Amino acid sequence: MSMLREVVARLAGTLRGHPADPELDEEFRSHLEMETAEYVRRGMAPEEARRQALIASGGVTPAAEAVRDQRGLPWVESIAADLRYALRALRRSPGFTTVVILTLALGIGANTAIFSVVRGVLLKPLPHRDGDRLVYLRQSTDGPAGEDIAFSVPEIRDIRTGVRSFEGVAEYSPWTVTLQEREGATHLDAGLVSGNFFKVMGLSPVLGRVTQPDDDGSGVPPVMVLTHEFWMKHFSGDPGIVGRKVMLDGEPVTVIGVMQQAPFFPARVDVLLNMVISPHHVSATMVEGRTHRMTQMLARLAPGATVEQARAEVTATYARMQQDHTDAYDPGSHYRMTVLPFKQALGEHARLTLMLLMGAAVFVLIISAANVVNLTLMRGLRRGHELVLRAALGAGVLRLRRLLLVENLLLTLAGSVLGILLAFGGTGLLRSLAARYSTRASDVRLDLVVLAFTLGLAVAIALLLSFAASLPKEGRFAALIAAGAQRVAGGLRSQRLQRALVVAQVAVSVMLLAGAGLLTRTMIRLSTVDTGLRTEQVLTIPLALINPAQLSAGGPNIMALDAEAKQRYEEIRRELRALPGVIEVGVGSTMPLRASDIRLDVKAEGRPLQPGQAMPQGDYRTASPEYFRAAGIPILKGREFQSTDRAGAGRVVVINQTMANQLFHGEDPIGKRIAWTGDVLRFTPFSGDWRTVIGVVANTQDGGPEAEPRAVAFMPFDQELTVFGGLVVRAESNVEGLTAAATRIVRRLAPGVPLENVLTVSQIRSEGVAPKRLNAVLVSLFGLLAVLIAAVGIGGVLAFSVGARTGEIGIRMSLGADAGRVHRMILREGGVLVVLGLVLGIGGAWFAAQFIRGLLFGVAPHDPVTFGGVALLMAAIGVGACWIPALRAARIDPAITMRSA
Amino acid sequence: MPPKLDIQQGTLALMILRTLDVLGPLHGYGVARRIEETSGNRLALNYGTLYPALVKLEQQGFVTAEWRPSDNNRRAKYYALTPAGRKQLARETREWNQTADLIAAFLAPRPEAS
Repeated sequence: MSMLREVVARLAGTLRGHPADPELDEEFRSHLEMETAEYVRRGMAPEEARRQALIASGGVTPAAEAVRDQRGLPWVESIAADLRYALRALRRSPGFTTVVILTLALGIGANTAIFSVVRGVLLKPLPHRDGDRLVYLRQSTDGPAGEDIAFSVPEIRDIRTGVRSFEGVAEYSPWTVTLQEREGATHLDAGLVSGNFFKVMGLSPVLGRVTQPDDDGSGVPPVMVLTHEFWMKHFSGDPGIVGRKVMLDGEPVTVIGVMQQAPFFPARVDVLLNMVISPHHVSATMVEGRTHRMTQMLARLAPGATVEQARAEVTATYARMQQDHTDAYDPGSHYRMTVLPFKQALGEHARLTLMLLMGAAVFVLIISAANVVNLTLMRGLRRGHELVLRAALGAGVLRLRRLLLVENLLLTLAGSVLGILLAFGGTGLLRSLAARYSTRASDVRLDLVVLAFTLGLAVAIALLLSFAASLPKEGRFAALIAAGAQRVAGGLRSQRLQRALVVAQVAVSVMLLAGAGLLTRTMIRLSTVDTGLRTEQVLTIPLALINPAQLSAGGPNIMALDAEAKQRYEEIRRELRALPGVIEVGVGSTMPLRASDIRLDVKAEGRPLQPGQAMPQGDYRTASPEYFRAAGIPILKGREFQSTDRAGAGRVVVINQTMANQLFHGEDPIGKRIAWTGDVLRFTPFSGDWRTVIGVVANTQDGGPEAEPRAVAFMPFDQELTVFGGLVVRAESNVEGLTAAATRIVRRLAPGVPLENVLTVSQIRSEGVAPKRLNAVLVSLFGLLAVLIAAVGIGGVLAFSVGARTGEIGIRMSLGADAGRVHRMILREGGVLVVLGLVLGIGGAWFAAQFIRGLLFGVAPHDPVTFGGVALLMAAIGVGACWIPALRAARIDPAITMRSA
Repeated sequence: MPPKLDIQQGTLALMILRTLDVLGPLHGYGVARRIEETSGNRLALNYGTLYPALVKLEQQGFVTAEWRPSDNNRRAKYYALTPAGRKQLARETREWNQTADLIAAFLAPRPEAS
């Protein structure tokens, strides 16, 4: 306590500075007088008494200093003196200061911004209680859409009983519901969760309660827990929300609580519900159907258990499951299960991209730091004599080192402040980038840890800079001073260091440029991928008139609902068709270039599966007769649907090229029959009747430009139940201009149905390229920055070398070297450095490219065009940077230099 | 005159506190006089030793300072013990006594071999 008081008092004293202290003077004076008086009283002569008193005082001035040191913090004050000195020195060379601070700001800013994302998405501990004990389980098969096929309830049951290393296993089904309010309908992303979900996940309510095991089953009221984000966004954080009833899909549901903030996987959600909201989820078909896979599985490790143990047990249990139920796991599809720590699962899609960006940012920082070292070295030479002078006045090496450190700290801290401002600007952009890859993006912020990282960076660079400047050993100053030396730094060592730094800069720039080139080519490849359809002037309006809960509930009711919905779609279609400029309007289950959410096993008549062959699967889609024309999907063979292909007529199907190849191996499929198959049909409203193939359409790039081609079958919209649904509008021109009118029509004819993602097909298409475009833009930006800084570095070092060699060049010229020769000499000097850097950089890029293979598309990691282009570009920039100093050298007038030498 | 001793680190604060405790509020000169006298003039306090120590005690909150007229109508800065200072004095006295006992036990003439 008393120590704290002392520190505070001294700090205050330091901040007050050194005002003259009349009070102390007076105190000393009174002491002196009293002592003198005492001596006089003892019989001394006044003169002698005063002298004795002064002797006893031990010196008034040092005493005042001692008191002053006690009042303030002496080491702070001497550093403050250094600081004032450094500030003055930096102000004297504003050009140097500006370049250094700007360079550092760019490097530090880029690193701060990207580190904040890396921390938010990959590193930060999860908000869940003991979040590192959570694992995510995933079931996968071969083929498109096979990466994550989810689990069925019986499969989860087997894991729950078979794996002892799990303390609890929670179920989570992604679901969508419509929230109906007076203000309108909102589409919500929901999670249907088992009662133990919150306990397993270690999540607590911030308001009300969360679901519990007694919320499971069918005989319970439906309840809803809001995510913190949705509560704030939709209900403005209203604490009175708990206990309120809201309408979800026409059913009253009670809000029981608000959950703490936490990221979800695999997708973000607005609300969490108990299963009862979906009658299907609590029905026997769902609970008993082993192939009815709709549920995600999350587990908490038992105390003491490790992920490895759990993995081993899961593998054993899964092998048993496959033995016991051979019909549910056809060997050709390679069913497999993986166990991932939950935190890793949350970041898995972001990891590679973030590592790429972090690497690029570190490269930029290396280049800027190298540049600053170079500038410092050159400046060190110029101020060499100043350091000698200071040494002569009694400053030791330590003190000089400290002075340099203070100066460099000033530079790097100024750079950091500017960099943090840059990072603040960039974080918004990066957060939206991260949101594409991870649900933890909202965790991205410049918090104290990030700022500490930045500060650490600044200090590390300052230390590096201070020790790059070579100071002679303690004790050698005297010799230098005696020899009349004007400079202490410099010489061969520092020149060699400068050159090495230039080579490093060129090398790192080449690596960044190569990365930028590969990613840019990836982006170009992606945006020129043939989508398979005519994308221009098409508007898509996804509109689900029947919600999934109604659909999966089934029953006699559904037929009436379906008829009503079909009629409503037709009304909307007619009105849209009547809009001016509209060529065609089609109705279908799924919008063009979107992947269907329904994927089923499919078989062709008379073609049994070969042993070991994977079960063929196809995307289930429906389409009205106009759909193909409206979406611009070319018919390759046969015909499209006609109005006669209606309910009651013979069942027909149009398949895409991929399915035709898969099922018929090059034979003409027209007239042959196919059918959906598999256990799962028992639980779904899709029929397994034979359907006659009447047409083959071209493949389209559903699910993004990188997606594997998917086998697709289209059924006539009128012959099937309405699932999902939406309208596709083709216009003559300016289809965006139709959006408002089309939206008005839909809102009028389908009130209370949420309407979102009304996009043109071109927009859907560029959505798929956007993440890669951002990658390419960011890395290219870093690459350009690097090249720019490196060019400044090369030019600067050469210019300096020319400046130092003016005398030598003058002599050469007076001995007969012409301007061209001098020009070439300097160019050669720089060229050697550039070529060395190029060779190293290409080697480095060759090595590093394999790590970003996963981010490339249509370009080999060692793409010769990219590498060649980068080498040429860097060579050109390098020569350009050498040109100006070389020119300056060639213009040296020997007469002038000789005279001044 | 006996040889002058250096003041051991940390003991000066204790001496000042004790002086103020015994004599009440006192100026710097008085404190110095008292310490010198008590030491039998083996200690001499110059300003550079005394005043930083007083400032430090003030910063720690163990003493307060106040300008007052002195006995012979001069103004002088008087230092007085605060309650915290009194507690500190008690604590330091106790600790010092313990240390002194300990050292005394160590340095005592060796008893008969055991």
